[in-house]
Amino acid sequence: MQFKRLIAASALSALFAANAQAVSLTGTITTENGSPVMGAMLTVFNEAGNRKESVYSGADGSYAIHTDFGGKLNVRARLANFEDATTTVQLAADQLSTVNLTLKHFASAQAASDALTASAHTAKLPWASHDQRRPFVSQCNYCHQVGNALTRSARSEDAWTVTLDRMQGYFAMLSKGEAKTFANVLARGFDGKPVQAVQNYGIAPELTHAKVEQWMVGDAMTFIHDTDVGIDDKLYGTDEGHDLVWVLDRQTGKTDSYPEPDINLPAGGLFNGMTLPIGIFTGKHGPHSMAQGKDGRFWITNALSSTLASFDPVTKAFKLYPVPGDALYPHTIRMDQEGILWFTNNVSNQVARFDPKTEKFTIIRLPSNGLFRWITDMLLPTIVHVGNWFPHKNLPLDVSTHRFLGHDVLNSPYGIDVNPKDGSIWYAKLYANKIGHIDPKTLQVTEYDTPLKGPRRPRFDRNGILWIPAFEDSGLMRFDPVTKTFESYKLPVLADGEYEVPYALNVHPITGDIWITANASDRILRFIPSTKRFISYPSPTRVTVLRDLVFTKDGRVCNSNSNLPAYGTEDGLDSFMCFDPDGGDKDKAAILAAKGK
Amino acid sequence: MNDRIRPVSATVCAVLLAVSAIVMIYMGTYASAYYAPAVCLLWEAVLLWRGAARKLFERVLQLNQLTGIILILTLWLGDTLHLPKLDIAGVMLIGNMASGGPLMAVLAIPLLASFHFSKTLPDWFQPTAHA
Repeated sequence: MQFKRLIAASALSALFAANAQAVSLTGTITTENGSPVMGAMLTVFNEAGNRKESVYSGADGSYAIHTDFGGKLNVRARLANFEDATTTVQLAADQLSTVNLTLKHFASAQAASDALTASAHTAKLPWASHDQRRPFVSQCNYCHQVGNALTRSARSEDAWTVTLDRMQGYFAMLSKGEAKTFANVLARGFDGKPVQAVQNYGIAPELTHAKVEQWMVGDAMTFIHDTDVGIDDKLYGTDEGHDLVWVLDRQTGKTDSYPEPDINLPAGGLFNGMTLPIGIFTGKHGPHSMAQGKDGRFWITNALSSTLASFDPVTKAFKLYPVPGDALYPHTIRMDQEGILWFTNNVSNQVARFDPKTEKFTIIRLPSNGLFRWITDMLLPTIVHVGNWFPHKNLPLDVSTHRFLGHDVLNSPYGIDVNPKDGSIWYAKLYANKIGHIDPKTLQVTEYDTPLKGPRRPRFDRNGILWIPAFEDSGLMRFDPVTKTFESYKLPVLADGEYEVPYALNVHPITGDIWITANASDRILRFIPSTKRFISYPSPTRVTVLRDLVFTKDGRVCNSNSNLPAYGTEDGLDSFMCFDPDGGDKDKAAILAAKGK
Repeated sequence: MNDRIRPVSATVCAVLLAVSAIVMIYMGTYASAYYAPAVCLLWEAVLLWRGAARKLFERVLQLNQLTGIILILTLWLGDTLHLPKLDIAGVMLIGNMASGGPLMAVLAIPLLASFHFSKTLPDWFQPTAHA
């Protein structure tokens, strides 16, 4: 470990020397009475406001951060239950400066309330029961946070009804009864009065070693859904609203975007009958998820046009492949060891197999699980199609069976992954609460009920254990495909009554740790299977909604902050975000090395 | 004043159609497209109750059966036959809803059968024969 850190320090020292703009800050973060605080976030913003980097203070309140941008920098210290402390410094290239910051208690109850995460505000909603809350968690928290500054404004029940009607045009699958209940609960719960909560992040020693880097992307309407890391170590993001692929070179900080080719469909693609978010969904394809093939091409599921796209990162050329049949909303995509692509068709209850060599699709219709789900499976693609004859009228909402029975009447095949042990394909059915196994040779399907509800985007670890986030039940599940047994874990929350919405997870290829998005509370969680311990990493950005997590060659956990809308985030923009569990240590080592020169 | 005696089967079926219409109206309060079959069911209930417009009454039942069968076959076999599945299914779905929807599909079977195999309902729709 020491040796590794020495190498890292040497490498970073060289980088430090090579970067003309690099600057460093050190200092201490204390409270008003002079006590040092551990786990406070120290964030440095560049002058243009499109980059920020953060580290966490140690037990003695000290921090050290090395950035590759200099000039006029805004510096902020942030800790739960305290007011932000900010200052501005002007640093020349290679300059090392000391900035000490003092955190004060909030001056008012309102200020304290405003600084709380969305989870603290939603905890106040007066649900009659867990079961009454469950469809709200499922349907109102997957595009964005509820309870953040944008979404918690006090409204009347009628105003909430209007909002909920609009959200249903954006695919929130609510029964009429649920919509009525939600409007009532939201009107009573979000009353504009300050929320009193003391949030505890359970600061772990590991936090003090970490660093977070962010690169803002696009504009206030950008919607980067998923992120992948290429073999060139660049980050690639799918802008689902604007039919773009964003590319970030982390070394230079440069971002580029590449538009998908046009298609003979109206805006909104095959979902033109719905009233998609104005200004955000202006495209036709809706690029959603991606996986890089062995030849370097990315394969992208176009959710709105029901096409699969290939994108060559060298030539920047796209090619479109229409998914056959009544496939609707191609969703999460993964590639198996043979180079075959597998993806879920979320609305039409299918998994698709695509062979890039023969360019042939095979569509696997998944079990319906009951009469009502069968009726829905059979009719929904037709209903959506008929809806397109009456653009933007939300006609599907006037016919679909979910209006009576809620989202449970859908199957919703969602995440998918490949078992590294035997190459078998496993998927999660988000609304039917099942995981399923597909034999890649026979295409035979077997499904299993999950103990927690809302299995979303599962991933395998290298030992062939499937890890599954339970979106509706604020949990994590472990499934052993050999013994067919589950284990369940509750995710840590910041205060009593809060819940978490784990959208996705991924397993670190080297450490085997499970990294989980915690989108209600602006965190990313790390679960260590050997000790069954969670580590909580607070995000430097209020309103952090993360989706697919990917790992770079240098060990960073990267993703996109993609709250809908982007202007609802603290930065007002989407961003690529990378957590480096050892990044803080690397900065300290680099600064020490520079001092030694 | 019409002094014809309404057969029990006509009364029962008219009531069933009316009850189905009420069910559809209730469903329409959740999803408004279901008001369309409700109107049709109510219309058919009135025709049957009054014994009027037999041809129209029968044509609606036949349309409902035809669209329902084609809808199911298209959804079931459309991919295999490489048909423009969703276009056909969409037209059939609209046609089926306009002609009474799924509850009409169930009631239409005994109603059409009785027109074919029995004289009671056909006679009820021919008031001049009983006048």
